[in-house]
Amino acid sequence: MSEYLTTTFDKFELRVRNGFYYTKDDLWVSIENGKVKVGVSDYLQKTSGDIAFIEVAKAGSTVEKGKELGTVESAKATIALLSPMSGRVDKTNNELEAKPELINSDPYGKGWLAIIAPSNLNDDQRALLSADDYYKLMLQKLQTEHEKLESR
Amino acid sequence: MKSTGSQHKKIIVIPCSGIGKAFGSISRDATYEVVENLRKDVTQTLCLALLVSGDQESLQLVRNNKVITVDGCPLQCAEKNVKLAGGNLAGSLRVVDAYKQNRQLKPRGVTFLDNDGQQMALALAEKIANKVDDLLEEQ
Amino acid sequence: MTETPEKKVGIISCSGEECVEGTISRVATRLVLGKLRPNETVTICLPLFLAGGREEREFARDYPTITVDGCDKMCAKVATERYSGEPASSIVVTDLTKNWQCPKLSARRKLDNETLTVTRKVADRIAEQVDDVLRHWV
Repeated sequence: MSEYLTTTFDKFELRVRNGFYYTKDDLWVSIENGKVKVGVSDYLQKTSGDIAFIEVAKAGSTVEKGKELGTVESAKATIALLSPMSGRVDKTNNELEAKPELINSDPYGKGWLAIIAPSNLNDDQRALLSADDYYKLMLQKLQTEHEKLESR
Repeated sequence: MKSTGSQHKKIIVIPCSGIGKAFGSISRDATYEVVENLRKDVTQTLCLALLVSGDQESLQLVRNNKVITVDGCPLQCAEKNVKLAGGNLAGSLRVVDAYKQNRQLKPRGVTFLDNDGQQMALALAEKIANKVDDLLEEQ
Repeated sequence: MTETPEKKVGIISCSGEECVEGTISRVATRLVLGKLRPNETVTICLPLFLAGGREEREFARDYPTITVDGCDKMCAKVATERYSGEPASSIVVTDLTKNWQCPKLSARRKLDNETLTVTRKVADRIAEQVDDVLRHWV
């Protein structure tokens, strides 16, 4: 199995990392040793533009599935990031304060946002999308974008 | 094509002029503000692409004078290309640094800068001008 | 798992900061991209292309390109030939303004009315070339 599922839109290659889970709001989730690492998908970072500011719930704080975990902000847009899991924020990525561009350059790696100790992992995980299902959702979003451009 | 008296200029300011993003247009406009207004007697600009196409006059200019690059995005193409050309890189500025200090500005126009874009260009131009002053003081 | 590519033309423009024709190239290209042929064109960022941008170079290799240069140094054309392949068409703004017998243009930062008129004509010319390239697409 290759590391990514990929598609191209205009000149841009968009990637979905295999082995991760996803939310419909374009966050990825990686589950390791009972903890959950969270980041934004390649699709989200591409459509957001160059990220200049990032705010994430502090380590030690409680988050609720579907409620705001943080925001990313570019000159284009401010996007609310909805937590994929309920639990406690264990750790946040301190590198992002000085280098928010890591979210754009390496969204599945160095651009990770937070690690959550989940309080309801099994239930919350069931609501997540597999890489294949998220890939299909991403293609639908791209098609919608394309249709918007065509109708201009 | 080069402006008259260019051989007397001291600092070369090179924007990325990235065509796909508002910040690329801002890098360009900020550069013009510096070389045509704020520090017009001591700066000039140069086509970035000429360095890569091997234009000898341009290559000599960036090697024999101090260069400030102005990049629109974290990919920093102006800085990279000046380094590849063996230019005397003395400063690298980024539009995002002006944005961080002017968070309320949300430039939208790419082809033509809107009001927020023009304001951000002016803010960035001040930073470039300050860097020019620093470099001149060092000499 | 890559989707079937659509017919698109990549436009690679110089942005020559030193002269008004560089600004004309840039703005004319943006007009084609945003207004005249938005569904048929993609812009290639020349500085990123020169710095080694993979997506830019691969697109220019796999799709037909039109280069738009401000002057006869033809940086966009030279770069495209070097890094991706012969463009399908090349436009040089100074050639056009000479043929059209335009008066001397000077406003390189903010285009005045005269320069804007010329820019729109250049944009129309680029759009014609896009149509031509697509017509001959095999």
